[in-house]
Amino acid sequence: MLRLPTVGRALAGAAKSSLAASSTVRTPVRAASNMVEVFVDGKPVEVEPGTTVLQACEKAGIQIPRFCYHERLSVAGNCRMCLVEIEKAPKPVAACAMPVMKGWNILTNSEKTRKAREGVMEFLLANHPLDCPICDQGGECDLQDQSMQFGSDRSRFSEGKRAVEDKNIGPLIKTIMTRCIQCTRCVRFASEIAGVEDLGTTGRGNNLQIGTYVEKMFMSELSGNVIDVCPVGALTSKPYAFTARPWETRKTESIDVLDAVGSNILVSTRGGEVMRVMPRLNEDVNEEWISDKTRFAYDGLKRQRLTVPMVKDDSGQLTVTTWEDALTRVAGALQSVQGSEVAAIAGGMADAEALVSLKDLLNRLNSESLCTEELFPMSGAGSDLRSNYLLNSRIAGIEESDLLLLVGTNPRYEAPLFNARIRKSWLHNELRVAMVGHNVDLSYTYDHLGEETAVLKELANGTHPFCQVLSAAKRPVVVVGSSALQRDDGAGILSAVSAIAQNARTSSGVEEGWKVLNVLHRVASQVAALDLGYKAGVDAIRNNPPKVLFLLGADAGCITRADLPKDSLIIYQGHHGDAGAPMADIILPSAAYTEKNATYVNTEGRSQHTRVAVTPPGMAREDWKIIRAVSELAGVALPYDSVEEVRSRLAEVSPNLVRYDDVEEANYFKQANELAQAVNQDLLAAPLVPPQLTAKDFYMTDSISRASQTMAKCVKAVTEGAAAVDEPSVC
Amino acid sequence: MLARRMPWGAVERQIAPRLTYSTAAAQPQVKPKKTKFGPLSDQDRIFTNLYGRHDWRLKGSLKRGDWYKTKEIILKGSDWILNEVKISGLRGRGGAGFPTGMKWSFMNKPSDGRPKYLVVNADEEPWVSRAAYIYIRGEFYNESSNLQVAINEAYKAGLIGKNACGSGYDFDVFVARGAGAYICGEETALIESLEGKQGKPRLKPPFPADIGVFGCPTTVANVETVAVAPQICRRGGAWFASFGRERNSGTKLFNISGHVNTPCTVEEEMSIPLRELIERHAGGVRGGWDNLLGVIPGGSSTPIIPRHVCDEVLMDFDDLVRAETALGTAAVIVMDKSTDVIRAIARLVEFYKHESCGQCTPCREGVDWMDKMMWRFVRGEAAVSEIDMIWELSKQIEGHTICALGDGAAWPVQGLIRHFRPIMESRIAQYNKKNPAREPEIEMI
Amino acid sequence: MASSAATRAAASTAKVVKPILSRDLDEAKRRVRELYRAWYREVPNTVSLFQLDITTRQGRDKVKEMFDKNKHVTDPRVIDMLVIKGKMELQETINVWKQKTHVMRYFHETEEPRPTDFLSKFYRGHDP
Repeated sequence: MLRLPTVGRALAGAAKSSLAASSTVRTPVRAASNMVEVFVDGKPVEVEPGTTVLQACEKAGIQIPRFCYHERLSVAGNCRMCLVEIEKAPKPVAACAMPVMKGWNILTNSEKTRKAREGVMEFLLANHPLDCPICDQGGECDLQDQSMQFGSDRSRFSEGKRAVEDKNIGPLIKTIMTRCIQCTRCVRFASEIAGVEDLGTTGRGNNLQIGTYVEKMFMSELSGNVIDVCPVGALTSKPYAFTARPWETRKTESIDVLDAVGSNILVSTRGGEVMRVMPRLNEDVNEEWISDKTRFAYDGLKRQRLTVPMVKDDSGQLTVTTWEDALTRVAGALQSVQGSEVAAIAGGMADAEALVSLKDLLNRLNSESLCTEELFPMSGAGSDLRSNYLLNSRIAGIEESDLLLLVGTNPRYEAPLFNARIRKSWLHNELRVAMVGHNVDLSYTYDHLGEETAVLKELANGTHPFCQVLSAAKRPVVVVGSSALQRDDGAGILSAVSAIAQNARTSSGVEEGWKVLNVLHRVASQVAALDLGYKAGVDAIRNNPPKVLFLLGADAGCITRADLPKDSLIIYQGHHGDAGAPMADIILPSAAYTEKNATYVNTEGRSQHTRVAVTPPGMAREDWKIIRAVSELAGVALPYDSVEEVRSRLAEVSPNLVRYDDVEEANYFKQANELAQAVNQDLLAAPLVPPQLTAKDFYMTDSISRASQTMAKCVKAVTEGAAAVDEPSVC
Repeated sequence: MLARRMPWGAVERQIAPRLTYSTAAAQPQVKPKKTKFGPLSDQDRIFTNLYGRHDWRLKGSLKRGDWYKTKEIILKGSDWILNEVKISGLRGRGGAGFPTGMKWSFMNKPSDGRPKYLVVNADEEPWVSRAAYIYIRGEFYNESSNLQVAINEAYKAGLIGKNACGSGYDFDVFVARGAGAYICGEETALIESLEGKQGKPRLKPPFPADIGVFGCPTTVANVETVAVAPQICRRGGAWFASFGRERNSGTKLFNISGHVNTPCTVEEEMSIPLRELIERHAGGVRGGWDNLLGVIPGGSSTPIIPRHVCDEVLMDFDDLVRAETALGTAAVIVMDKSTDVIRAIARLVEFYKHESCGQCTPCREGVDWMDKMMWRFVRGEAAVSEIDMIWELSKQIEGHTICALGDGAAWPVQGLIRHFRPIMESRIAQYNKKNPAREPEIEMI
Repeated sequence: MASSAATRAAASTAKVVKPILSRDLDEAKRRVRELYRAWYREVPNTVSLFQLDITTRQGRDKVKEMFDKNKHVTDPRVIDMLVIKGKMELQETINVWKQKTHVMRYFHETEEPRPTDFLSKFYRGHDP
């Protein structure tokens, strides 16, 4: 299968990393020979054969300047910045592309090397505008840094400079193409990582331009990453334009909660305001990419916020009040009810600390009615066995698999980084992907087995033709989307998928540790909530309407006023005035994920925590503190006063929740499968169609992204074209 | 105006076997050192229908001896052919002069299941109507259509295709027409172009012999190289090696253009003195040898040599390197004293600026910069110190790029400065005299 | 060190100290009274000049309170220092080198007690 754009380049790229498996030519060579000894400035280094000069230098602790080379992209070798002299070689070689040979002495700081770098730098700067003072890349610009380090101190270029017209490629990425140095990193990112062939080069020689040829939106859910990939200021963030400088912002390491992947992020703040969100390296989760929602929805944190406690007055209007008043009312309401007359629903962005406090509070009031908005079939093993509801294979585990069956999910928009991982494996490791569900564009090819539930049944009982492929797989993975489990026949689907997974596992003969069955969640809170013993789905509440309903950031609109008795009291605690707040009687404003130190567990079961980047706006407080305060006023004070104490309580309930950055492995697959088979639910005929089908369904999925103007612009640009959101350029 | 002869672009594809010309071991002969080269006698000519005056169809070419004993040659096996080519001392005719025997032997590795390809680079005039699978410049419409006719005839006659010449080998030939980019003459750019992509040189390694067209082992050979190979096999490598000086053996097509009385393309012995070549075949320099200003001996990319060098130099790889230029493709451009040599070189640099693919920074930015400077030099609107600067710039480009186009753009400039610096300086002086620097109206303190 | 030297000196001979302004306690007390009177007269001006939301009476009470705060002091040198500081404050007030908020600081507690229990902390702010 020829999936790579250029075989030669791909091989050059493959030689450098763990993608070696795809290399058909070099593999035998590698197997036969051992380590190669080379010298970097006379210092001996042992490297694997096929290592590039640049990597050998890196191993020796010497950084070679580069522009076009990027670890995760194929090698282009066209910027020529990485030229180094090899002793006794006539010409300097491009370190990023040249594999080392035995005994080479690489001179990284010789006269010739320095001359070559200075020459290339002079050429790069010849047509690069001198607009650093108004360039958003200023301060974090590779060209700036490297010209200081390797360039000359003056310019000899006295001709006219080239100017290139800017392109409108959507509401997220601002292009200033005059600054482009034609490194083609963005082009390679688009075609290799994002899987959209939107970007390319047109023209030759000095007229070479990066662009979309016909002006259109760069349509990818990962498009924002080209901003990080671009070594100069040619591609910058449109929402961030002219708002802050890197040296005046404070950076806080945190976690994204807008999907269930839990991408690691860096929140840039200045003066108590989130200025932008950038990815943080985590090889196991998001590598160094993040999705556009993660990156650009931050302006939603500044809009539609709940900043003061509010209560409904006699006329039915929500009016501003004090914490004392609001909390007293809540406590009074809680004291007046008994047992299951009080219930709680946790939304998609609730953190583990809040979840455990709320559970403790309600338990003290003798209520067990704690639910999550997301549904998960409770029959069979339900959420009792952890293996049942996790992405057991892990995100990085996809790279070791050879066959992936997706059921009723669209990972491209439900978990873009997981999809990027699948694509990576598809591209480099010959992963075969099959899909039961709606035929969506996943940015790679897959076997579409149909969207009918009948297909699942056939796969489960072995009558489907694809079963042969499944049984031939060495390391199969089956992923069912949580949206498929929201259906009325969710239990039946889970049972069928479980059977498929168990059959595939048996026939593959894979070792004991390999996980086959996986659930891909869509919201950040779900795994922690299930770990803590929340019931999935609000059916219990609908069947047994409570007098007091506590909504913890529940904004999906599962329960409406109509589902409850007339005199029932609804308390909404959350950070956005979205779906939940308007129907509440009492509103308790809380902190969003950038404003609290809170624990989230991603779909793999990996516990991670956010950090406080900015203080919550107005009178908003951290979620667990509000609940703790309520408990005291209600006379059932919870026994923790600090976040550490809450976490030790978390550890009591489920120790994995506080083992940060660690994935607690699940087990009892077999038992879970046996219990699942006991479920005798018929599958409905309705096709498996995930709710997020195309890009326009991707951008606004939760209370934060629904409040974001940037995301709204994206939806508009996707539906009406990039020109619809064109704004007059400031510079 | 650019008489460039970079034959780039014919593609020959072998489905099952690899290249299969071969020869029996020839005895090394000791012979007195040759001192006189050329003219070539008619019976030693390889290109017998160079001017298309004879029938170019298959029938005519068979009459001239083409295809003779092809089957027997093929059946002698690849090692024999490779050895014969090695003995002949044939060096690639595309410009770099890499020993062909060695290059073809890179392909003689055990097959790993992938087909092996021969790409014949005939971006220029297709003199030979019997070349195999040819990638040809799109502009050469008549030539490519003739070529297709020839291929069709050869197929019909069973000379190529399944069981070519009855040898048991399957050998298919395709013609691909390029879109006329100079860079597509570079072997890896040619491969990219063949694959339907932008014609931009690939990084080497991996070399085409490992991973070439469609990811398969490939040899890209100049059309002239491929065209002489059958004759070498037929008449023996030693015969071919008897022409020219040591390590520069064989016959070569020379294309003489510019200020000569009868511009022509002629097959001659290697190492023929430049002066003899011009005077014998091109009717001499316009206005006599004394009217000669300089010669670009190997196509647009090679440095110019002034008259006093032209007097003595031999037309072969080594002697031209000694004269700080190169044989290139042996497209000799003659300039008499009416030439504005700065303008001529500026035009060449402009050509390279236009043809740069734009991948590598030094070539993309540097050639454009040099072009802008060269046109200022043409007017004299420059400082004398800028002559040294453009020399430095050309050195910053040379050897710093993926392919040799950057070198090709730098060399003409270097040649100009090396030999014609006084002309440049006097042009600048002239300009400054005509356009004196303006005196500041107010006295600057 | 200086104090220990002084102690030693006192032990050996009669205590001799170098006065700042006043030679004895009576003179120091006189200076205090003068300062008090000056403040007492200035209070109405201050209230109107700074447009303070207090009455003259409240201001004078505050002045009295401030003087009373140091009534236990008997060392003339300390009294002199306090008088000098008081004069500085007075001068800054008269010349409006202060602003309203600076004047009103006399009426503030220097430090509010920090809440210790969870609920008070919660009401008070984000992370007290």
